[in-house]
Amino acid sequence: MAELNIIEKVIALEGVELLKNLSPEQLSRIASIAKEVKHPPGKVILEPAKPMDALLVVVDGSVELSRDGDVLHVAKQNDVLGAWALFDDDPMPVTATTVDDTTLLRIARDDFYDLLSDNVEITASVFSTLVKRFRKLVEQ
Amino acid sequence: MHWLRALWRSFFDVREGEGLRTLFMGLYLMLVLFAYYILKPLSRSLFLNKFDIDKLPYLYILIAVAGGLLAYVYTKVALHFSLQVAVTSSMVLTVVCLVGLWWLIGLGQAWVLYAFNIWVSLFSVMLVSQGWLVAANVFTSREAKRLYGLLGMGAVAGAAFGGTFIAQTVSRIGSRNQLLASAALVVLAYVAFLVVVRQKGVSLVAARGAEAETEEFQFKDILLAIGRHKHLQVIIGIITVTFIVDVTIEYQFNAMAKLAYKGDKLTAFLGTFYGIYLNLITLALQFFLTGVVVRRLGVGGTLQIMPVTLSLASVATFFIPGVTSSASLRLLEAASRYTLNRTGMELLYLPLPAELRNRTKAFVDIFVDRMGRGLGGMVLIFFTAVLALKPTQIALVTAVFSLAWMALSRRASREYLATVRGRLASRRLDLTEARVSCDDPQTVALIEQTAAGENPRQAVYALSLLAETTGYELTPLLEKLAASRHAEVRARVYELARARAFDGLIARAKEEHAAAGDSSAEQAAAAYLVGLSVESAKTFLNSPNIARGHGALDALAAQPSLAAETINAEWLRAAAADPDPRKRVLVARAAGLAGGAGASIVQQLLEDADSSVVRAACAAAGVLRNRAHVFSLTRCLTNARQRGAAIAALAEFGPRVCGTLSDILADETVPAAMRRQIPRVLKLIPDQRSVDILLQAIDHSDPGLRRAVLKALNRLRESAPKLSFEDSRIAGQMQVEVRRYCELNAALDPFRSSKNSGEAAGLLARSLDERMAQTLDHLFRLLGLRYPQQEIYSAYRAVSGRSSEAHSAAVEFLDSVLERDMKRLVVPLLDAPERLLDTGRNLLGIQPKTAETALRELLHSGDSWLAACAAAAAGEMKLRGLAPDITEAGRIVGDVGEVARAAAVALA
Repeated sequence: MAELNIIEKVIALEGVELLKNLSPEQLSRIASIAKEVKHPPGKVILEPAKPMDALLVVVDGSVELSRDGDVLHVAKQNDVLGAWALFDDDPMPVTATTVDDTTLLRIARDDFYDLLSDNVEITASVFSTLVKRFRKLVEQ
Repeated sequence: MHWLRALWRSFFDVREGEGLRTLFMGLYLMLVLFAYYILKPLSRSLFLNKFDIDKLPYLYILIAVAGGLLAYVYTKVALHFSLQVAVTSSMVLTVVCLVGLWWLIGLGQAWVLYAFNIWVSLFSVMLVSQGWLVAANVFTSREAKRLYGLLGMGAVAGAAFGGTFIAQTVSRIGSRNQLLASAALVVLAYVAFLVVVRQKGVSLVAARGAEAETEEFQFKDILLAIGRHKHLQVIIGIITVTFIVDVTIEYQFNAMAKLAYKGDKLTAFLGTFYGIYLNLITLALQFFLTGVVVRRLGVGGTLQIMPVTLSLASVATFFIPGVTSSASLRLLEAASRYTLNRTGMELLYLPLPAELRNRTKAFVDIFVDRMGRGLGGMVLIFFTAVLALKPTQIALVTAVFSLAWMALSRRASREYLATVRGRLASRRLDLTEARVSCDDPQTVALIEQTAAGENPRQAVYALSLLAETTGYELTPLLEKLAASRHAEVRARVYELARARAFDGLIARAKEEHAAAGDSSAEQAAAAYLVGLSVESAKTFLNSPNIARGHGALDALAAQPSLAAETINAEWLRAAAADPDPRKRVLVARAAGLAGGAGASIVQQLLEDADSSVVRAACAAAGVLRNRAHVFSLTRCLTNARQRGAAIAALAEFGPRVCGTLSDILADETVPAAMRRQIPRVLKLIPDQRSVDILLQAIDHSDPGLRRAVLKALNRLRESAPKLSFEDSRIAGQMQVEVRRYCELNAALDPFRSSKNSGEAAGLLARSLDERMAQTLDHLFRLLGLRYPQQEIYSAYRAVSGRSSEAHSAAVEFLDSVLERDMKRLVVPLLDAPERLLDTGRNLLGIQPKTAETALRELLHSGDSWLAACAAAAAGEMKLRGLAPDITEAGRIVGDVGEVARAAAVALA
């Protein structure tokens, strides 16, 4: 299967809640730092002991999230793993294992920060989404 | 047919969804006026046939008094109920009164004719004013500007039908039965009103005058509201003068008519005059002129027409007296009052907040109308009974009042704009500085208490306030607070002691270093000690505690001559080689204070591997302002971690660095990432050279750079308003941006339905939409260079927001403020976004596009993101006609080429 081009990456990133307020062109800048990663079934991609340093977007396939052997969720196309990892390097208390042949987009935290420092509009938009999410939590 | 449609639209522009609302609103007003124009000639002819002309001024005064009372009652009703209930109540009351008068006139009593005249005059104001109040709540201000001409025409047609009806039927059905015909028309008007309120999107439930007021609403509250709003005061002034002039002209006309006609002939003359002559003129004015005049001259110009023409016509009547000249004057006055003036006045109300508008409009219309007529009656009594002027000489009185009217209309135009501005600006938060006054003893005691308190930030703030208080002896407090357990309080204490050269804290400062506590307090203590004795500086600079070194530099920065002596080149060279980046940061800072001796060290540290060192070196370069550092500083612009310091440093060079920055900005071989930062530097240099350089780049092909240039120009306009912003370049770029906006819209049109799809065509549609929003932003930024920036920004917020009322007010504001050439370009984009394709075609010759032509143009547009989206969409839609263009795009290196090659495979 051919590598994803920038348009396909942008379409995949449009499904990420954290990035939902960004314009397609702003997403294209994130797409330019997003690396495509392919994994076979059964590959452990996240472990509780390992700190996360990137956000992962499921482009194709599925990933099972489990804790202590219990399946919590199966992430499918356009689902995101580790959105908070962009801002917090504490490890997630879950294990993520690919179920099928899976293609992910990986956005490394350092690259993301560099991008934010060059694109203040993206920073403002991401902060706006985070604030809205926080406000929602407070209101609940 | 196209030109006919265009001609029709130029007069009456009714858009989709407005048809039924406009039709029944027009019918409502027409039927009310129909009823009124039966009653008006009837009541006046009965009165003139029964009484002498000298009784007429008293009738005007009676109307004013009775009208005032009814206005009070009506306002009470309007304030306590919704507009819908108020309309229903007044309609029922009107029908009951008409039937009652029909019965009373049948009894043949003379006083009934006074009562009838009073009641008829109230009828017009109450029901007609209510009709326009309904219209103001049914249409937005933009819709109203287009549609009020049509509604006014309905009202004029109603008046024509009424006058004609009575002239033709008075001999057949008799005078008295005309009252019952009027009652039937009022019932029909109510039916039309009910249809209006049932239209989609119309709700009069919230339109109540006193919704936010207490139950104990007082007459004085309305007067207070008028007292607070200059805009309302001017409206009242104009209405008052309008009716004084109306009364003086009507008096003249009636006197001449009574001399010329008697009995039924007088009734027939008045009916024919009002029904045919007056309304033919009124209709012609309304159909051919009102809409065009309002659009061309705006509110201010429209309101000027009536007083100017009446003053001239009154002078003419004085020289050529008679029933024909007085009828002509009356014709001119009444016709323009119901058309141009009425439309202008209704627009004058629109920028007021809805609550205020509804609460006071009925009151102003009814009471001020009566007051104007009452004053007119008194003026007439004064001139006819006291000064014994003849009716023909009253024309000169009219001319004088018309002059006052002209002045008020000019004022109204200014207030109208001020009110619109105020509404837009009120959407913005206005932050005010809140510093405490510390001149009185009580306040000083309170601040001292805070300075000694447990909240360190408040304590520091309080200390700063006391330090600025004239005559306050600060040192005892400094001695006391030097023992504070909060490091930031102690740091502030040392700073203030150093500034005052107060030596009472030396022991404390030395203890601070011995304790090795918080770095901020240590730094401030070191600065304090060096400030008192510069010899200690070298010790602190060589201290392994970097904070102390910075403290020494703080003190040396305040004494530049000592700094150059204390910091020598040898120490700088040795310390610059220190492996600890914190030490090199200290060296960079010291090099900035060392003058010429530090220049080479700064240059060396600008190339340092550690960004914190480079930032410090940038700051030092900003202090030294040595041209040798400019190249390294511009290179730092591409590094996100060093950029801020590099921008600040370059700005420190001032206008003499503008030439170099201009070269970089214009050099296409320089990386775009660096060039995009140049406007950020220029905006910090408030010099004409900055503006000129930025204006040269205003049309750059890189949207990111263009946006940075515009932002910088906006900032310069704000920080240095005296700089000159070349109009022709701005106007030229406005045209380019408007064309771009229309072209993007034409390209978007074939893909609009795909906007929410998750495929390439949807992505393209969203990208085009975003580009249009950016272009609109650019347009408003350009407008901000020619017009008041704050107001233009408020208008931008309104047009890009969700509130249709705010959007409408913003477009109205732009329509009033922009010059003709700007208005012609900008207003059509905002006023009718649904007709943007037509606007692009008519204004700029941009033809609608098919999906294929749109994609082809985007592929060749030079916009790499849109080209990539277009290539992907072409592949997805299997548009084989684009295969050669896709193949060509596939040769481009980078994302566009990659996407185009994938699309070529899909098309194969």
